[in-house]
Amino acid sequence: MSKKKVKQKAGLAVLNLVFILLCLIGLVPILYALSLSLSSGTAALSSKLSFLPTGFTLANYKNILVEEPFLQWLWNSIVLAVGTVIVAMACSVTSAYAFSRFRFKGRIQALRGLLILNAFPQILTMFAIFRLFKLLHLLNNRWGLVLIYAGSMCIFSIQNLKGYFDTIPVEIEEASKLDGATELQMLIKIILPLARPAIIVTSVMVLIFVWNEYLFATTFMLNENTYTLAGGLYQLQANDYSRSWPLFTAAAILVSVPILVIFFVIQKHMVSGLTAGGVKG
Amino acid sequence: MRNKKKAAVWLHSLPAMILIGAIIVFPILYTAYISLTNMNMFHWDNYELIGLDNYVRALFKVDTGFLTAILTTLLWTALNMIIQVVIAFFIALGLNAPGLKLKNLYKTLLMFPWAMPAYVSILLWKVGIYNTEFGLANKVLVALGFEKINYLSQNVPAFISCMVLNLWMALPFMIMMFDGAFQSIDKSYYESAKMDGAGFWMQLFHITVPSVKPIMAPAVIMTTFTTFKQFDIIYLLTQQKGALTGATLQTILTYAHQNAFVSNNYGLSSAVSMIIFVLIVIISLFLNRGLKEEV
Repeated sequence: MSKKKVKQKAGLAVLNLVFILLCLIGLVPILYALSLSLSSGTAALSSKLSFLPTGFTLANYKNILVEEPFLQWLWNSIVLAVGTVIVAMACSVTSAYAFSRFRFKGRIQALRGLLILNAFPQILTMFAIFRLFKLLHLLNNRWGLVLIYAGSMCIFSIQNLKGYFDTIPVEIEEASKLDGATELQMLIKIILPLARPAIIVTSVMVLIFVWNEYLFATTFMLNENTYTLAGGLYQLQANDYSRSWPLFTAAAILVSVPILVIFFVIQKHMVSGLTAGGVKG
Repeated sequence: MRNKKKAAVWLHSLPAMILIGAIIVFPILYTAYISLTNMNMFHWDNYELIGLDNYVRALFKVDTGFLTAILTTLLWTALNMIIQVVIAFFIALGLNAPGLKLKNLYKTLLMFPWAMPAYVSILLWKVGIYNTEFGLANKVLVALGFEKINYLSQNVPAFISCMVLNLWMALPFMIMMFDGAFQSIDKSYYESAKMDGAGFWMQLFHITVPSVKPIMAPAVIMTTFTTFKQFDIIYLLTQQKGALTGATLQTILTYAHQNAFVSNNYGLSSAVSMIIFVLIVIISLFLNRGLKEEV
């Protein structure tokens, strides 16, 4: 009995050790960046191995905020993210409702079609969109990018919301139908309040998508004033990085912190939302 | 009444359909059209229809590099998925070991790489870890008395470096999915297996693996697609504009992107895009059918 207990304890100790090691491996790149961002400029470029900040200073953070147009990038990202969330949600809520509540011809086919379209990587049509936008003078234009982002997240939002609407019992609406409410009134007055968690989670995921997108942002925004955070950070590291690498680490930390916070707040919903959307389609 | 209902459907889905039509469907059709032309830098406006030439070039001329890119992509997807599923399985199994008190703390810490914005992580790895002069990987090697390695200058080391980064970024999601799947297994199975004297590996292969298989199938399929479509890692690590590292690694996506935006071979790039699109449609139809049958 006691021998078995000792063995179990030893096993747990080893397991704990393994997990501490794994967590360290997972966190090292982030902690290393954090440490560099708090070090004086030369430390980042030395070849000495050190995990603790050398010459602790907040200069990098000050410089990124003052010398680089970081606040302008931040503002551009916020405008894009909020614009995209509004457009994407406005388009997808009503259509998710239609797919969830109405039974019409071609419904299944349409859902399946959306699934396939969603599997298509948008990078592959980027040139076609680029050419079209050039003809329409939508390059270097925030609204152009909002349209692209909203379009690419629209299908995801429809699937996610439809999955949630499906779980709301129809009886609730039938009661108010008798009272003579129209479909749209029902959607706004009854379904939306009930589906608030799903709408919030979906919006936040659209927001994270925009915040983290760099390829379209750097291809379609060619003007320094219109850079998003992603575009700005990309430029920072693409330029001569002996100067800007310490700045980049500070910027990377600043960009990641809000996302990390949001992520851990909604993380539980995210996993269930993902699986629900994935399975039900 | 019927017509009214029909109108309601249309009215509700019209905004979404316009948006999806304009941003997703129309560009696909336009790409299909471009793929039939000789559009490139010199023929930006005065391009001509040339039929299926671009498709023939992509599929039957080895020197265009598309076939190599397909092989690289398949190898990339297969290796990443196998390693990822196996490692995630055992890490999640460890998380669910009875008596592990700090489980939730470990879970939270392990999730960080998933939460980070992907491009930030990749750029941090590019300079912070893989840089030859002051990257962490070489600093550690030097401290241990080894030679410095140029991680991204050649194809094989670059492939492995990209894969390590991909695993770092993708494992947390897989671990969490497995963790959820393990928790849904009825504990009484293990009780009765123990009564019958089944050992750890017996239980693993006869209870754990079969039970999580159907639950994990959607997550694994989804991740396979994401891995197949992975673009950011290889692009940002090895082939940024003006910062080519020497490796000539191409997956089908980086190949299509390079032909469109670097070598300005729009027709060929569009043909490649359409081939990939058809492949994806076929694979996803096949997978969806498989999934439904299992459920």
